[in-house]
Amino acid sequence: MIQNKLSFHQSSVILEIIGLPDYSNNENNDQISIISQWKLTIIDKPLIEGKIEHLGPIIDAFYIYSNLLINNDIPLYESNLIDIKAENLYVHNVVLKSSKPNVKPLIMKIGNSLLSDIINCFDQLNESSKVKIKKSKIINNIPKKARIRLNKKVKLFNFIVPPIISICSLILFSSSIIYFHNPLEDNEKNELINLD
Amino acid sequence: MPNKVSIWKLRNNNPLRKSHINNNIKLDEFDALVKITVEMSKYLYPYIREILQSKDTEKNSEIWIDFNKRFIDLINERFNVNSIRVKKLLNQTKNDEILIRSLLILSFCSSNKGYQKLKYFLSNF
Repeated sequence: MIQNKLSFHQSSVILEIIGLPDYSNNENNDQISIISQWKLTIIDKPLIEGKIEHLGPIIDAFYIYSNLLINNDIPLYESNLIDIKAENLYVHNVVLKSSKPNVKPLIMKIGNSLLSDIINCFDQLNESSKVKIKKSKIINNIPKKARIRLNKKVKLFNFIVPPIISICSLILFSSSIIYFHNPLEDNEKNELINLD
Repeated sequence: MPNKVSIWKLRNNNPLRKSHINNNIKLDEFDALVKITVEMSKYLYPYIREILQSKDTEKNSEIWIDFNKRFIDLINERFNVNSIRVKKLLNQTKNDEILIRSLLILSFCSSNKGYQKLKYFLSNF
């Protein structure tokens, strides 16, 4: 039987999911519900692949680590399967431990750009309607927590001021990146002239 | 958000800006700003990535220096430089951490679910 293969690309990272649809649930031919293989390819790094049951914990590890990286001074994630630790502000050490005996752990150093690509590949997988896997608990918990806090509207002003400062800073921050893209600048200038 | 002018007005809620006005921003306006930021980060992802990568590979890359200089120029132009918090942003030798974290937040939120992620990050900022 020919297996389906879905790839999620983000710059230097490719996540491949290979498997079959669950025909007993009348699923379409192009869907994947029964995963037989997965591969995470990072350019210039060793190929990462593992058992089906390892995919979920690895995705969760990267999500938890990315949250720690934003909110914590010393981000560190450790488990039986994977350790991720920040070497400094720019480099992260990833240690993938094999479940087979006498197999040395795979040690990789990744930068912030590769970490972003990996997170974006996992986001694409989580958002894909063609792959039915148990979605990451971490990513599903994030919006609920944020929504509940926002909907309470208790002391809304006090709550909302720090995020507003942050969001305005991020917008300012984004606008400084536009500097690298001349056509966009030109468009904005034209729009400004029109507004005047 | 009816037009760009309303977005520009909302930016003035930032107390770090020279032109700070306290307008009591509404919850739906806050949501709209989050959505706009996520859409911008999706569009700008290649540039954000390039800036992050420039710092991964070499300490004083030209791209990073240009970006940092542009950021500081914008802060000087629009923010209240007498504020201690703004002074921290302007310190070119010590602002790497906040720049990297801000770039990472934007890059992590460039997916379709980025809106919920960014709200979560902001609530813990």
